[in-house]
Amino acid sequence: MSRQSFLGATARERAAGLTDAGTFQELAGPRDRLTSPHLPVLGEAVSFDDGIVTGVGMVRQHPVFVISQEGRFIGGAVGEVGGAKMVGIFQLALAEYEEWKSHGAQEDCRPAVIISFETGGVRLHEANAGLLAHAEVMDQIQCCRGKVPVLGLIGSKVGCFGGMGFVAAAVDVIVMSPEGRLGLTGPEVIEQEIGKEEFDSADKSLISRTTGGKHKYLMRDCNVLVPDSIEAFRQAIGDILEKPYEEMEKCRRIGSPALVKEQLDVAEWLADLAPSDARDVWKAMGNPMAEEYPDMDVEEFLTHAVRRRRGEQ
Amino acid sequence: MALQTLTYTFPGKTGCTIKKEWSHTGVVGSGDLEILLEQKAQAGAVSVQVVTPVHGFEYIWEAVLKDFVEENQIGDLAVSINDNNATPFVVSLRLKQALREAGIPEIFLEREGEKT
Repeated sequence: MSRQSFLGATARERAAGLTDAGTFQELAGPRDRLTSPHLPVLGEAVSFDDGIVTGVGMVRQHPVFVISQEGRFIGGAVGEVGGAKMVGIFQLALAEYEEWKSHGAQEDCRPAVIISFETGGVRLHEANAGLLAHAEVMDQIQCCRGKVPVLGLIGSKVGCFGGMGFVAAAVDVIVMSPEGRLGLTGPEVIEQEIGKEEFDSADKSLISRTTGGKHKYLMRDCNVLVPDSIEAFRQAIGDILEKPYEEMEKCRRIGSPALVKEQLDVAEWLADLAPSDARDVWKAMGNPMAEEYPDMDVEEFLTHAVRRRRGEQ
Repeated sequence: MALQTLTYTFPGKTGCTIKKEWSHTGVVGSGDLEILLEQKAQAGAVSVQVVTPVHGFEYIWEAVLKDFVEENQIGDLAVSINDNNATPFVVSLRLKQALREAGIPEIFLEREGEKT
């Protein structure tokens, strides 16, 4: 069980496994029956947790507030209730931060928020409420800045796309497995909108090369790459939280004029490079073994990987 | 069509409830369901609420649930189900799994012992 796959686990198994054994306490769980008020009139199945597991546990000395999305329920799409549960977790974490500050503010006990993403973004059945939930979560992430580190974990089957791709971009640190996928517009939507010649959503290895953990790690959209096991993710959370808070701030992708400039520079560099495949980008960054990267295990990949240089390219 | 809520009550055995106060099993994925079992003192009765998008299968649900209650000789239990097009076979399997996770009544285990 200790090597349980993150990819194959349920949201509830992940929530329990990402915190130290026996410490996870679910909040607003299934017995509270917080089902969506919108789905019944549409004849859509409901879930007692509305597809999101929330709670609190410990990682080493840190109280960790957990949000874990369930991809098997409506593709992990976020609606009104699930969104409110996410916001509630941030509010609890911020309240805990005030407690922590008034009790000596020891770094090794600083509270944190972790979000295990498995979602395509807004639940279209409750579009406005779902969109609002995204905005509120983004707002909470901003409220946490300088106080509570927010970690995003992506290693699930559905991946993290749509509006939640934006939310993921706004967190402090992103941990992925190679199986995890991150993006804004999902593969099927790109194909539908622009065509199969632009993006073939049936091509699994193309999707993996373009949105998968290895590519995101090379591009610095992901900060830490781990193998597909819940234990590896938990280990990574612990190691990140041991670092000084300022180090976590440095992992951010957005949130300052300098970071905006950096992102724009990357976009410009990519436009000039005009790659036909992600492997062209990897090679241009100094990865002569790019062709072999997709088949390498994480350990071997990390010994070869040359990531995008920060600042100017 | 809107979601359908089905309710059933079956006579069961007094005191033969689950070991845990409550227990949750499963995910409302496509073709799957979640089950919430709760201890409930109601003179041995097993009450069931099923919320499902599928219409016209009331009698199948009743048959599957009746079998579950009788086979396991349980009682004083509230069963809440959110279904998303699960087949009767999957429902039976998940009910069995849910009962196992909730802690099978001692009396049932003793009976099992007698059999072997």
